[in-house]
Amino acid sequence: MKPAPFSYVRALTVEDALSALVEHGDEAKVLAGGQSLIAMMNLRLVKPRCLVDINRVAALDYIRLDDGTLAIGALTRQSAAEASPLVARHCPLMREAIRHVAHRAIRNRGTVGGNLAHADPSSELPAVAVATDATLVARSAKGQRTIAAADFFVGPLTSALRPDELLTEVRLPPWRPAGQGWSFMEVSPRRGDFALVGVAATLQVQDGMCQAARLVYCGVADRAQRVPEAERALVGRRADEAAFREAATIASQRVEPRSDFHATAAYRRDLVNTLTRRALAQALARSQQSGA
Amino acid sequence: MTTQQTAHRWIGRSMKRVEDPRLLTGRGQYVDDLSLPNMAHAAVLRSPHAHARIRRIDTSKARAVPGVLLVMTGAEAAQQTGPLPCFANPPVTQHCIAVDRVRHVGEAVAAVVAESRYIAEDAAELIEVEYEPLPVVMDPEEAMRSTSDAVLHPERGPNNIALQRTLTFGPVDEDFATADVVVRRNLRWPRSGAQPMETVGALASWDEATGKFTIYANTSMYNYVGWLLAVSLKVPAHKLNIIPTIAGGSFGSKLFTHKVPVLAATLARACGRPVKYVEDRIDNIMNCDNHGSDRIYDVELALKNDGTMLSLRMKVIDDYGAYLQFGVGHHGNALAQLTGPYRIKSARVSLTAVMTNKGQQGAYRGFGSEVNNFVVERMVDAAAEALGMDPVEIRRKNFIRPEQFPYKIPTGNVYDSGNYEAVLDKALEMADYQGWRRKQREARAEGRYIGIGLVSCQERSVFSATEFWFWNHEPGFALTSSPDSVDIKIDPTGKAFVRLHAPFWGNSPETVATQILAEQLTIDPADITVTYSDTDSGLPGTGPGGSRYTVMVAGAIAGAVKELKAKMFRVAAHLLEASESDLELRDGRVSVRGTDRGLTIGEIALQAHYFKLSLPADVRSGLDARHTYDHPYTTLPNADRTDMGVFYPIMGHMCHIPIIEVDIETGQITFLKYVAVHDAGTVVNPMTLAGHIRGGTVQGIGSALYEHYYYDSSGQLLTATFADYLIPTLMEAPENIEVGHVVTPSPYTEYGIKGGGEGGRMGAPAALASAVEDALRPLGIKIDSLPIRPVLLREMIREAQQRRP
Amino acid sequence: MDQERVVVTVNGVRYERMVAPRRLLSDFIREDLGLRGTHVGCEHGVCGMCTVLVDGQTARSCLMFAVQADGTSITTVEGLGTPTTLHPLQQAFWEKHGLQCGFCTPAMLLTALELLSHNPSPRRDEIREAISGNLCRCTGYQTIVDSIEYAATLMRGGGR
Repeated sequence: MKPAPFSYVRALTVEDALSALVEHGDEAKVLAGGQSLIAMMNLRLVKPRCLVDINRVAALDYIRLDDGTLAIGALTRQSAAEASPLVARHCPLMREAIRHVAHRAIRNRGTVGGNLAHADPSSELPAVAVATDATLVARSAKGQRTIAAADFFVGPLTSALRPDELLTEVRLPPWRPAGQGWSFMEVSPRRGDFALVGVAATLQVQDGMCQAARLVYCGVADRAQRVPEAERALVGRRADEAAFREAATIASQRVEPRSDFHATAAYRRDLVNTLTRRALAQALARSQQSGA
Repeated sequence: MTTQQTAHRWIGRSMKRVEDPRLLTGRGQYVDDLSLPNMAHAAVLRSPHAHARIRRIDTSKARAVPGVLLVMTGAEAAQQTGPLPCFANPPVTQHCIAVDRVRHVGEAVAAVVAESRYIAEDAAELIEVEYEPLPVVMDPEEAMRSTSDAVLHPERGPNNIALQRTLTFGPVDEDFATADVVVRRNLRWPRSGAQPMETVGALASWDEATGKFTIYANTSMYNYVGWLLAVSLKVPAHKLNIIPTIAGGSFGSKLFTHKVPVLAATLARACGRPVKYVEDRIDNIMNCDNHGSDRIYDVELALKNDGTMLSLRMKVIDDYGAYLQFGVGHHGNALAQLTGPYRIKSARVSLTAVMTNKGQQGAYRGFGSEVNNFVVERMVDAAAEALGMDPVEIRRKNFIRPEQFPYKIPTGNVYDSGNYEAVLDKALEMADYQGWRRKQREARAEGRYIGIGLVSCQERSVFSATEFWFWNHEPGFALTSSPDSVDIKIDPTGKAFVRLHAPFWGNSPETVATQILAEQLTIDPADITVTYSDTDSGLPGTGPGGSRYTVMVAGAIAGAVKELKAKMFRVAAHLLEASESDLELRDGRVSVRGTDRGLTIGEIALQAHYFKLSLPADVRSGLDARHTYDHPYTTLPNADRTDMGVFYPIMGHMCHIPIIEVDIETGQITFLKYVAVHDAGTVVNPMTLAGHIRGGTVQGIGSALYEHYYYDSSGQLLTATFADYLIPTLMEAPENIEVGHVVTPSPYTEYGIKGGGEGGRMGAPAALASAVEDALRPLGIKIDSLPIRPVLLREMIREAQQRRP
Repeated sequence: MDQERVVVTVNGVRYERMVAPRRLLSDFIREDLGLRGTHVGCEHGVCGMCTVLVDGQTARSCLMFAVQADGTSITTVEGLGTPTTLHPLQQAFWEKHGLQCGFCTPAMLLTALELLSHNPSPRRDEIREAISGNLCRCTGYQTIVDSIEYAATLMRGGGR
């Protein structure tokens, strides 16, 4: 199937893009990597009247370290982030999660910012953003604001971005390598498909004791979902199989997943339980390797 | 790899494929790659309803779109074009665009022709249709009881039963009465389909001056029943030329494409321009006319306590969907090997074919026999468990023995040859079966669930025509021919031209023909070129399907070469002043045996083409021959259908042993090993045969674990994109499918070849069911239904764990 | 809607065309440039048939608009070898039976080319990972992996 007609604006600068968004209002969609958007347009599920193409906005394509904070320009291709030594070092969780995003050809075009702004509840990167307390930088003609990841994802395919705003950067707080464990695991129908359930887990371990933990899931709610009750079951306890089991049980009870053709709610709960346990075990092993 | 005899020079070699250089360089000329001057593009509007009357269609907005040439409703199309071909009797009326009523989601309601596909789709969206919803029939058992508006085709009768009949072969009741044990299972085979990477397409043009259609299409059977499209188009058959294009995969689904070419031709005639219509993927999933079998079984196997199999009884309900193009031919097919490789003495099948608001069934690799293999092998595993026997030993005990061939099974079909234990033993050895049983025990002790599947399945090949109609109470067109032809010429320079009368659809017809002709003429394959006929020039050709083409083309080539050789010998004897009986053909040369006197084929051809006065007086010029080869062994069914005759006697065999591990917490399955040993008789090209086995096996894994055309109760198809209809990627396929061959030549075919095109998919689903059940034996889980999706498997595991904590 | 100018280099040849913004790169390559070796299988980004290289990187041409390719350099299967002078990848696919119907083959070749351009000696698992986004319905994939593994040796100058 072919997409419906639209008008096209090629932005070369952020300002170009912002003024186009002002001009076209909510009839416009931002075209970043387009790997979800164009597929939906081809199926005529969405028919934007105008596309504002930001692929030539070179100023949004970067990965850099700002005072220990990893700043990733919204136009950074997923494959670039996957290959980046900075990302590997300062947010290995993201690197691991990106490998679950579709396939190489998709990641070559798909952008980090586009994935986040698309706010697909099954997608991996929103879970990473929430798990790492990332901040998202949005700009409009009126100015710039930052949005905490926890507030950014509002519902299925819905973010906190206003129609005139462009996501320009994601900022990941300093990664503490010492004693920091992490894991991203998911189950999808086939390799590369959207997750039925995915979990982004981080675990801060010192002397075998869990200092901090994050458990964030994709595929179980209308957005990336953090489960603080499960995290609390870990903090202050010995990081061991028993604690992981308890956290996993709590997480599987707290989530309220939906049923669809590919997975029932009960199956998703089972996956939350299993993946939580396995991800925490892997995170623990990694925390030991990273030397606490 | 093979135990192939070495008497042949080209047969048995893994020769690189003749087809490949053009495919590798993007010059395949698939149907969508063609264009004609002034060509326009078509798109269809798909029904959102599963069952509804079309009350009104307003096409005015669509017609007003700039660039739109034609908008056609079903009623308008029906004024020019009749129903599509249907092999059921009585036939079920299907139009290329639905008339008055839609019977499944995705059925075409209108078509648009425009300057581009983009514009055609824009306009299709603007067509306004008023539907009156009708009761939706989705459940096949409910379909048997449908009345009034829920009946899809009221002109065929008062309910949705397409055909109901019981066939009994041999003393079933007596055998059941003497049984010690009767094993019973309810089994479910779901709807999946071929989904080749290329959809169905056609490019049609209408020449008003001659009143003739030309249709380029990726279809097979154009030289078999292609004229039926002329009937649909209401022109005499000689006013339609179908030119086959290569197909980007078929696996049965392009066996006889009718709707797409008829639609394109109808539109071309109506708008006076060539029209291309290529299904998009959604069309192909929803409306391809080639969904696979969709069956519910209640099966009983009667045995003696020692494991001797006596008799098989099955009741089957098959959900055919909204139309019935091939009748219930799939169940005819299954009768070819109803009782598997076993000495089961009698059998009964009670079939109820029903119609529902789903896409209609067509052909998919196995054509119903893959389902029968699944059923038989599930029953054998169930019997082994019930009797406490080893699954290998119960099979071994019941195999038809090599000395018993040719062997007539209860249905009347004859198995030509086989050595089932040799296949089994080779597979056991390749798989290190005993070693894995040990590893399985060790793994179980660690809480891991390894499963070893094992199936011994028949691989019938070379269909004849009777299976399409012998189930019918009143056969409509009871054809008995299924020939294939070639014509061969040797030009004055000695090059050989062979023309096939069936298309390339992803198999290797040019390679096979080249190898066989090189063998026959003792020439270099490089001196052979292969072309394809169209219907204007075509000889009888049934084409690929039912694993028949290699056998059939070999027979046709051998027949043509016999004639060519006779002429070459005649000419050579004359020129060499020798006796024909002293001549031999060797290394491309006809020579006097025991001497160096001879003529090359090229020298003879030159004489034959240009030197009439040097030839014997009664020899005409040229060096060419054509041969039509009929099915080597087929007979009629008897009148009361207690014996269906011989219709599928070229019987291959396989043993598949997948070794898998189930992650019981996620329900996911991973492959540890996969062994597939096949007996396809004499192997023409081991490389391409192995390719079919591996590819078919992965398709079978798709059917077993992933793929499902899943309709909800309102008739919506929930798996209508490639994001939801889950074709295995490389990551879902075993890393290494180890292929072995055992060679039991067929006594009935040229060189002893048997077909092998479908085997992988005819064994893998049964094998996977066996493996998963074996893995989960400690939990007491039975695999009665496919696909074994992780979500469903995990539910079973959870229930089992709750049963026995 | 207005047409946009696209200047693009495909297989080393410069093309300049006016296109509607919605024209998919796949249709542009196939129909406007007449390069029919790039195939279309699903048009929703799952099957991978339409994969081409855009500035050396694989991209699904059904998930790009032609207008977005302006200024880029594209490689399609026609940019590899010809039937008489096959590229080593094509030669390897031929010898190892890495194709049957051939419909997925152009995309497989280009995906393999991207892999071998940055990893000349890939392990089998790396090959599997690299082509896992491309469906093939004929081969069961195994001989495609064999082909790419063999192509790597050919391209490194090795023999069989």
